[in-house]
Amino acid sequence: MNFFSTNIILVENTLIVILLALSIQIPLRLGVFSFAAIGYYAIGAYSSAILMLEFGWGSWEAMFVATVFATVVAYLLGLVLARLTGLYLGMATIAFDLILVVIVLNGGSLTGGPVGIFGVLGSIELWHLAAAVIIVLALLTLTERGKLARRFDAVREDPQLASSMGIDVVSYRRLSFLISGALGGLAGAFAINLRTTISPESIGFGLVVLGLTVIIVGGQASWVGAVIGACIFVWLPKLLDFVGDWEEIIYGMVVVLAAIFIPGGIVGLFLEAKHRRQSKRNRSVVEQVSALLAGEDEHESRSAAVNEGAISDR
Amino acid sequence: MTGKTQAVLEVNNIAVHYGGIKAVNGISFSLEPGRISGILGPNGSGKTTLLGALTRMVSLTSGSLVFLGQDYSKVPARKILSLGIARTFQTVRVLPDRTVLDNILLGTDALSSSRAGNVKENVRQAIERTGLEGFEQVRPGELSYGVQRRVEIARAIAAQPSLLLLDEPTAGMNQHERQEIGTLLRKLSEEGLTQLLIEHDVQMMLDTCDKLFAMNFGVLIAEGTPESVVQSISVQESYLGKRAQQNA
Amino acid sequence: MIQDLLNALTLGSIYLLFALGMALVWGTIGILNFAHGSIFMFATFISYLIAERIVLPLPVILVIAAAVGAILSVAVQVLAFQPIMRRAKNQHSAELQILIGGIGIAAVPIAIAQRATLSNPFGLGNSSFQVQIYEIGDVRVSNIMIMILFAGLVLGGGLAWWIKVSRQGLALRAIGVNDEVASIMGINKQRLALATMALGGALAGLAGALLTVYLSAITPESGDALLIKAFAAIVLGGLGSIAGVIAGSLVLALSETLVLTHTSGTWVNAVSFGLIFLILVVRPQGIFGRKNVVRT
Repeated sequence: MNFFSTNIILVENTLIVILLALSIQIPLRLGVFSFAAIGYYAIGAYSSAILMLEFGWGSWEAMFVATVFATVVAYLLGLVLARLTGLYLGMATIAFDLILVVIVLNGGSLTGGPVGIFGVLGSIELWHLAAAVIIVLALLTLTERGKLARRFDAVREDPQLASSMGIDVVSYRRLSFLISGALGGLAGAFAINLRTTISPESIGFGLVVLGLTVIIVGGQASWVGAVIGACIFVWLPKLLDFVGDWEEIIYGMVVVLAAIFIPGGIVGLFLEAKHRRQSKRNRSVVEQVSALLAGEDEHESRSAAVNEGAISDR
Repeated sequence: MTGKTQAVLEVNNIAVHYGGIKAVNGISFSLEPGRISGILGPNGSGKTTLLGALTRMVSLTSGSLVFLGQDYSKVPARKILSLGIARTFQTVRVLPDRTVLDNILLGTDALSSSRAGNVKENVRQAIERTGLEGFEQVRPGELSYGVQRRVEIARAIAAQPSLLLLDEPTAGMNQHERQEIGTLLRKLSEEGLTQLLIEHDVQMMLDTCDKLFAMNFGVLIAEGTPESVVQSISVQESYLGKRAQQNA
Repeated sequence: MIQDLLNALTLGSIYLLFALGMALVWGTIGILNFAHGSIFMFATFISYLIAERIVLPLPVILVIAAAVGAILSVAVQVLAFQPIMRRAKNQHSAELQILIGGIGIAAVPIAIAQRATLSNPFGLGNSSFQVQIYEIGDVRVSNIMIMILFAGLVLGGGLAWWIKVSRQGLALRAIGVNDEVASIMGINKQRLALATMALGGALAGLAGALLTVYLSAITPESGDALLIKAFAAIVLGGLGSIAGVIAGSLVLALSETLVLTHTSGTWVNAVSFGLIFLILVVRPQGIFGRKNVVRT
C-alpha cells in the first residue's frame, strides 16, 4: 500500500488531531467553554517523554500514567474554574494552556527548555493509535443517542431546565473536564510516542487555533465533525501544496467563512438537510391534524388550525 | 397529619430574603389533593420567587416546605422531580432543535426506575392528554407558542408528578389558546393531579381554579374561593389602585 | 528604580491604548475581537509602507495608522462579526463563532505582512522624527516616551471622562448593561457598534505606531503577543470599567517590569497568563468591576 506508507505521518497526525479535537468538543457539547485540551495534550506528551527518558519507563506505563495525570489535572481545573462560564471560562483555560508553555520553557534540562525533548523512542505503533481512536469513537456514539444525547443537549442549551428535569448539571460539567483531560492527555501521549519529539512551539497557541478550527469547520455536534475537520486540516496543506505561502491566508479565510456561514460545521449542514426533509413530511401531518380540527367547529377551530399549523413568529 | 385528606403541599411561614429585598416575607398555605389553586398578584409581588422557593431553585431564608408529609426544604433542585414535583416556566423552555417527542422524553430521563414506571405508556398518555398526537417528530421551534406550552405541560406530566406548578402558562396566548389550556388543566385535575398556578388573567383563574390566593409585597393578602378573592377589597386595591375601588 | 517606573508606565500606556479598544468593544457590544492584535500590527505595517516612500512628520504617520486601524476594524465588523450575529441562534454560539472568526481573520494580515517582510522586523524610521533622549539625573527619558505617556494619559483619561459625561458615552454604557432596553430607547446599536469598533481600531493603530517608534521596530507577530496582555489588563481591571482598564494596564506593566528586572526574561509572559487565571478564579469581576458583569 504505497499510499499508506508515504502518508503514514499524515494518518498518524489525523488520528492524533481527532483525539485532540474531541477533547475540545466534549466540553463544548456540554456548554463548557474550556479550551484546556491543549494543556492536557502538553501534559500527556511531556509527562510521557520525561517518564520514558529520565526514568527509563516503557511506553505503555508512561502513557498510562501520563494520561491519568492529565485527567487528574483536568478534574482539579474543573473544580477551580467551576464558577466561570462563557468567554471568561474560555480565557481562563487559554491562560492555563499558555502558562504551561511558559513552565515548559523554563523547565531546564527536565523539559528541554525552548528546544524541547527529542529522541523519545517508544514501542507504540500506528495500529495501537487507530484502535484507541476507534474505541473512543464507539464510546462517544453512546453519548449521541437516546437518553444521554438528550441530557447533553439540555445541559448545554438550558442548564436551569436540565436541573428541573432532574439532571445533575454540576456533575456533567465535571465529567466534561474529566473526559477532556483523558482524551487530551492520551492524544499527547500518543503524539510523543509516534513522533519522538515535543517542543514548546508545538503546544502553543497554534495548537489552540488548530483544535478550534477543526471543531468549527467539522462540526460541534458529533464526533463525525471532529473526524471530518481533522481530515480536512491535516490533509489540506498537502493538497494545496502548490499554494505554498498563501496557505495561512487560505486557512484563515476558510475558518472565517465557516464561522459566518456554517456555524454548525459540515456535520451541521448534514443535520440541517436531514431536518429539512423531515420538516416537509411534518408539514403534511400538521396540516392533516389542522384539517381534522377544522371539521368539528367552524369558528373555533379555524383559529386553532391557524395556531396549530402556523410557524411561530419568534 | 394523617388520613386521606393529608395536604399534598404544606408551606410553613417561608421567607426568601436576598440583598435587602424581602421577596417572600412569611407565607403559609397548603394544597389539597386534586385541586387547582391559583396565585394572583401584580408584578413584583413575589409570585415567581415563591415558585422558585417551592421548586428549590431559590433558597429559603426561613420556614419549611413539606411535600406528601416529607420536609423537602433542603433537597437540591434537581431532586424534586423525583419526589414528584414538576413545573413549567414563565417563558416556554423547550429544546428547539429536538423533536416534540424528545422534549417530552426529557421529562422522564432522570427519573428513578420506580418512579418512571412504564415510560413509553406515560409518554403516550401525556401526548394524548395534551392533544399532541401527530406532532411527535416536529421541532417545537416551528410550532405556535400555544402548542409549545402544551409540549412543556406534556413533558411535565410524563414524569407522573403528584404536584404540578405552572408559572403563567397562558402568557402570550390568545383567548382560544387560553381556554384550551384551562380545559386541559381541569381535565388533569379531575384525574387527580394537584396543581398550583400563577397567572395574570383573572378570568382564566376564575374559570380554572378551585381556590385562589392573592399575593402582594411578599405576603398573602387574601385566600378563598376565586370569586370571593377577586371581589375582595384588598385584592382590587393592589391591582387597580384605591381610586378604581372607590368608583366600583 | 525611577527608570524602571518610567519604562513600566510607558509600556503601560501602550497596553492601555491597545486594551481600551478591546475593552470598549467587549464591554458594550459583547464582542471579543481576536483580530485586534492583527489590526494593531497591520495598521502600522501599512503606515510603514507609506512612510518608506514619502518622508512624513510623525503626527501624520500616527494619524494614518489610526485611520487604517479604524477602517480595518469597521471592515471586520461589517464583513464578519455582523453577519455572524445576524445568523446566530443564541448568545452562546455567537460568542464562540465570533471568537473563532476573529482568530481566522487575524491570520490573514499576519500572513500578508510575513510574506512582504519575510518575517523581518519593520520600523517607521523613515520619517522626519528623531528620537531624542534627555537625561535628568540618572534617568533617561526620550521624547517618544513622553508622547506615549501623554497619549495614554490624555486618551485614556479623556475617554473615561467622556464616557461618563457625554450622551454617546451614556448610550454606550446603556447598550453594555441592557441592549434591548437601549434599542427601545432609540439607541442605534449597529451604528454605535461601528463607531466603537472604529474608535478601538484607531487606538490600536495609534498604539502600534507609537510602540514601533519606541522599540524602533516590530514584527508581524507582535500584535498577537499584545492580545493576551490586553485580556489580562481588562480582566484585572474589570470589564465594564474604563478606570479598570487603566488600572489593569498599569498594574500589568508594573508587574511585568518587576519580573523582568528580578528574574530572567523568560517568565515575563507568565505574568499576564498568571494574572488572567488568578483574577478569574479569585475575583472574576476584577478590581473595579461589578459583580453581575460575569454572566453565569
